[in-house]
Amino acid sequence: MTQRRSYAVGTGLFIVLGFAALAYLATQTTSVANYRQGDSYAVKARFGNVGQLKLRAPVKIAGVRIGSVASVQLEPEKLDALVTLSIDKRFHEIPDDSSAVIFTSGLLGDQYVGIQPGGSPEMLKDGDELILTQSALQLEDLIGKFLVNGSGDANKKPAPTQGTTKPAGGA
Amino acid sequence: MSDVPMPRPDEPLVRVRGLSTRLGGKVIFDALDLDIPRGSITALMGPSGTGKTTLLKHITGQMRPDAGEVWVDGRNVPELGRDALFALRECIGYLFQNSALLTDFDVFENVAFPLRQHARLPEELVRNIVLTKLQAVGLRGAARLLPSELSGGMARRVALARAIVFDPMLILYDEPFVGLDPIALNQVLKLIRTLNQTLGITSVLVAHELSAVRRVADRVHLLANGKIVAAGAPDELARGESDWTKQFFGGEADGPVPFHYPAGDYARELGFDGGAA
Amino acid sequence: MNGRFLRGGYLADALAQVGAAGLFFFSILGALPKSLRYVRETVRQVWFVGAMSLVIIMTCGLFVGMVLALQLYHTLSIFGGTEALGTVVALSLLRELGPVVTALLFAGRAGTSITAEIGLMRATDQLAAMEMMAVDPIAYVIAPRFLAGVIAMPLLACVFNALGIFGGHLVGVTWLGIDNGTFWGNMTANVDLWDDVVNGVWKSLAFGAVVTLIGVFQGYTTPPTSEGVAYATTRTVVFSSIVVLALDFVLTAFLM
Ligand SMILES: Nc1ncnc2c1ncn2[C@@H]1O[C@H](COP(=O)(O)OP(=O)(O)O)[C@@H](O)[C@H]1O
Ligand SMILES: [Mg+2]
Repeated sequence: MTQRRSYAVGTGLFIVLGFAALAYLATQTTSVANYRQGDSYAVKARFGNVGQLKLRAPVKIAGVRIGSVASVQLEPEKLDALVTLSIDKRFHEIPDDSSAVIFTSGLLGDQYVGIQPGGSPEMLKDGDELILTQSALQLEDLIGKFLVNGSGDANKKPAPTQGTTKPAGGA
Repeated sequence: MSDVPMPRPDEPLVRVRGLSTRLGGKVIFDALDLDIPRGSITALMGPSGTGKTTLLKHITGQMRPDAGEVWVDGRNVPELGRDALFALRECIGYLFQNSALLTDFDVFENVAFPLRQHARLPEELVRNIVLTKLQAVGLRGAARLLPSELSGGMARRVALARAIVFDPMLILYDEPFVGLDPIALNQVLKLIRTLNQTLGITSVLVAHELSAVRRVADRVHLLANGKIVAAGAPDELARGESDWTKQFFGGEADGPVPFHYPAGDYARELGFDGGAA
Repeated sequence: MNGRFLRGGYLADALAQVGAAGLFFFSILGALPKSLRYVRETVRQVWFVGAMSLVIIMTCGLFVGMVLALQLYHTLSIFGGTEALGTVVALSLLRELGPVVTALLFAGRAGTSITAEIGLMRATDQLAAMEMMAVDPIAYVIAPRFLAGVIAMPLLACVFNALGIFGGHLVGVTWLGIDNGTFWGNMTANVDLWDDVVNGVWKSLAFGAVVTLIGVFQGYTTPPTSEGVAYATTRTVVFSSIVVLALDFVLTAFLM
C-alpha cells in the first residue's frame, strides 16, 4: 500500500511540475497583459492599404502598447480596409482628432498601428472613427520611388504613392 | 447470470459434444465428446501435444472450436458474448501451465487480484482470504516476494492459490504437479481433494504423473489422436487392457499413439536413400 | 516474417498495420469507461511513462535550448538581429522542437518500455491470465497506459520548452551577452499565447496519443517470443518517429 501511495505522490508532483512549466511558458514567454481583453473599447479606422497588418497586431502610442487590432475587413462600397482597434479602457484620454498610422517594426518586422495624438479637447469613445489615417508603407513602393527620384529628398516624402491620407471631412 | 436457465443438478457440469478443431492445418480434435460430472475430480491424460491445454482453452472460451458444442453449467461457451463469458469465468479457476503470475505485483497482490477486481471487500477480509489460501499452499511466508523471486514450483503453488481464491465452481488445473517436490506435491494433492470434498468444487486436471492422479482423481480420460480413446477409474485404466492404455501407461514408443510428430521418412531425410545417394 | 517485411508486401503490411492500429484505437476508446475503475493503475502509469522520463526530457531540453541559442545567435548576427534571439529561440521551441523532440524522446524512452512490457505480458500468458480472471486486458493494461501517455506527453513537452528557454537564456544572456531585458522583451512581444504556446500543447497532445497508441499496439500484437518482442520494440521507435514527423508536417501546414 505504501508503495502505491508513493506512486501517487510522485505522479502528483510530476503533474504539478508539468503545469508549472506550462504556466511559466504562458506568463513568461508571452505578455499576458496583451490578452486582458474585457475592459476595452473599439475604435475604427479606414486605410487604403493595410499591408501585412494582422489580427491581434499591437496598437501603440509613443511606442507603448495600448491595445490590439480586433478585426480587418473590406468596406464593400468604398473598397478600403476597415480596421477595428480594441483599446484598453485605461487609455481613455485619447483626443478624437488623433491619427492612425500603420508602421513596421524594424526593417522587416511585423506591422502595428501607431496612434499619433491630436490636440482636440474631445476624447475618443467606443465606436468612434479615426479620420486621419496613413496606410502601410510598402517596401516595394519605397524602393521604386527611391530609384525614380534618386537619393536626394526621398526621405522628405514618406507618404506612399496611392492617395492614402484621407483629409476628407477634416477634424 | 439470472437469465440463464437453472441447469439440472444431475447434468454434467461440462458437456462437450462433437468438438472439432484444426490448428495450423493439424487436426487437434475430431468430433470429441466428453462429460465432466458435477463434484468430480477428472484427470485428462495423454501424450504431450495432443491438445489437453487446447481442450481447457475451449472449455473456458479462450479459443473457439471449428465445430461442436461446449456446455459449461448450462451455457454453450462458443456462443457466449464477451460479457457472458466474463461472467462465467468469474466462477472458473484456471491454473496456467506456466503459472502466468502478474510480474508487477508481489505474491500477495497476485492472489488478491481476482478479489480486488470482482468484489468490493474490506481490506481486512481480503487479507484474511489471501493469507488463508497462501497458507493452504504453504507460501504464507512468501507473501511479499515478487514472482521473479520464486522457483517454478513455488510460482505454480501461488498460481494455484490465485485460481482458488474465489472458491469457484470449477477449477481447471493445467499440469499442476510439474516442478513440485514430493512434500509440496502431497500438499497440493491434499488441497485439491479438500477443495473437492468440502466445497464440492469440480476439478479437471491435466497431468502426466499417474501415481499422483491415482491418489486424487475419480475418473481419467485418455486423450489421443483428437479423441477420448479411453476413460475410466484410474486403477482400471492403469491395468492397461486396451492398446492405448497399455502403450501410454507402459511408456512404449510403439503403439497406436505415435511417439513421433508426423514426419517424412527418416532415412530419406538424412540422405541415406537407397541407391539415390 | 522479417524477410517478408523487408521484401514483398511492404505496403500491404503497412496498410494492414495502420488499419489494425485504428481498430485497436477504437477498442481502447470503448474500454475507457471501464478503465475508469483503474484510476490507480493510470496514476501508476503516469509515474512510469511521465515522471520517469523527466530526467532525459529535462537534460535534452536544456541542451537543445543552448545549442539553439548558439546557432541562431550566429545566424542572426549576420543580419544584425541578435536582439531577436529570445523570440526565435522561444518560437522554435514552442512551435516545433518542443513537441517534436519530446515526442521522439518519449517514443524511445516510454514507447519502447510500454511495448516491451506488454509484449512480455503476452509472451508469459499474463494477458491470457487476466482474461481468465474476467478482467479485460484492454481496460486494465492498455487503456491506462494510453491515457497516461496522452496526459504525460504535453506536460513533458512543457517542461522541455521551459528548460529549453532557460538554456537559451543561459547561452544568450549569460554567455553571449545579449541584454536580459531585450531577450525577454522581444520574446514576450512576439510570442502569442494561443498561436504558439497553446498550439504547441495541442500538437504534443496529438503526438502523445499517436506514440502511445503505437507502443501499446505493437506490444499487444507482438508474437509471443523474445524475438517478437525485440522486433516490436524496434518497430515502436521506427513507426513512432515516422508518424510523428509526418503528422507534425500535417498539423503545422493545416492547423497552425
Ligand atoms: N496457436 C496455435 N497455432 C497452431 N498450433 C497450435 C497452437 N496452439 C497449439 N497448437 C498445436 O496444438 C497441439 C496441442 O497443443 P496443446 O494443447 O498445448 O498440447 P498439450 O496436450 O501438450 O497441452 C500441439 O501440436 C501444438 O503444436
Ligand atoms: Mg499443455
